Amino acid sequence: MRRNALLGLTATILLGWTALAAQRAASAVYDSERQIRLEGVVTRVDWVNPRAFFFVDVRDGDVVANWAVEFGNPIELERNRWKRSTLRIGDIVIVDATPARDVTRQVLARSVVHKATGKRLFELPAARPRASLKLPPPRWPDGQIRLGPPAGQKGYWGAASVKGLVESKAASVRMNDEGLLMDLSEVDRVAPFQPWAKAVYLHRQRTRLKDDPIARCMPPGGPRQFMRPNGFQFIEQRELGRILVLMGGGNRNWRVIYTDGRPQGQAAEVVLSFFGNSVGRWDKDVLVVDSIGYNERFWFTNGGLPHTEALHLVERFSRPNLDILRYEVTVDDPRTYTRPWTGGWTVQWVPGEEIEEYFCEENAESTFIR
Amino acid sequence: MRRSVVLLICSLSGLASATTLAQEGHPLTGTWSGDWGSGPSKRTHVTMVMAWDGKTVTGTINPGPDAVAVQSITLDVTTWTIRFEADGKDSAGMPVHIAAEGRVEDIASAHRTISGTWRQGTTKADFKLTRD
Repeated sequence: MRRNALLGLTATILLGWTALAAQRAASAVYDSERQIRLEGVVTRVDWVNPRAFFFVDVRDGDVVANWAVEFGNPIELERNRWKRSTLRIGDIVIVDATPARDVTRQVLARSVVHKATGKRLFELPAARPRASLKLPPPRWPDGQIRLGPPAGQKGYWGAASVKGLVESKAASVRMNDEGLLMDLSEVDRVAPFQPWAKAVYLHRQRTRLKDDPIARCMPPGGPRQFMRPNGFQFIEQRELGRILVLMGGGNRNWRVIYTDGRPQGQAAEVVLSFFGNSVGRWDKDVLVVDSIGYNERFWFTNGGLPHTEALHLVERFSRPNLDILRYEVTVDDPRTYTRPWTGGWTVQWVPGEEIEEYFCEENAESTFIR
Repeated sequence: MRRSVVLLICSLSGLASATTLAQEGHPLTGTWSGDWGSGPSKRTHVTMVMAWDGKTVTGTINPGPDAVAVQSITLDVTTWTIRFEADGKDSAGMPVHIAAEGRVEDIASAHRTISGTWRQGTTKADFKLTRD
């Protein structure tokens, strides 16, 4: 009960801060059971993706200590009309924040107030549901669905409707923005785990995803590439018989789906990789992609579902209207799961915008925190 | 000075390579190396390779000309305890039975370890293996 309450609190704190958790699990870094208030002078502003920081000198008697304050993802902040110049070196601010779990002088800001004016800074408004006109999906001249923008326009695929992959028949399993289960007793509804896989998944959950390879800037292979905060886009090179998937987050990775009719490779012979060997074909309005050849160096979803080199994915992409991409994936890894299982989600179209530069390496290491 | 710099570069390279090659699949799969022995000065190097086929963990101790096939490997995931047995040869070439029991530590880490008790013939010793 207490654990559920704490997880609920964590989820509340993290609500609206999805992008903050872009490269590492905030739950692993910050201790949501504690809150502190800092007041000090801004000495530096790092307005960089994926996580913006400013630094404040906090005086305690004759001692001055420099603290790092994480306060959001610049892309999200800019969308909400905050700018790098909103905060200036020399400003005095009052910060209510969640401190780091370790002794590092690092906090995750819950609110930042400009002391001189009393103005609250960097407050993200609650997400507003977008009105959908339910325009038909764009099509190529031959009638095939376009996965990118309508001709002459721009846009990309943005937020996923879920934060973790769960077997469809489980209906809903409650988890936070990082894929942490609200209630670990629901683990058996997530996927049909083999015993070792369930134990590994629970270990990752209990340790708050602290060993997530994505925190070391490893690529988000598998379904995870479609649930990252900064979206993705499809570049359909029909004349070359391939579709490129360009990812907005992480390391701006790209993946190739071959649609030139080539057969899938032999599992024992393909070079193992983060994005696997993918061949796709159109089944009426659905792109069906078969992928094998994954290495074991990544977690294929938020939340830490395990897999082995035997992972075989069948993904189905459809676009019922302009604004929605429906993604469904069947996971077949007999070394990890007792049977194949299917899950999925929808992704929202972001019209008229381009994916922004966003490099995991920018401030992935903690050594820049003094 | 020059030697220190070289050592530092080698250490950093090794660290980077270990991080890059981390494996996240079945906790036992992969190559493990370390040693066993009854004291700090009596250590014997061991390389052990294990694989998971979905039903069984298989393994080989010291792959190569002196390879020993592991007869059985079990993993209790509730305690992360591994037990394995093999029939090998001692330094004189005589048959010897190996039975080991250890605990897998820090299973989600790229640098997880197994440490515990190693029995080889009548010798009882400790061992520690680290996943490469």
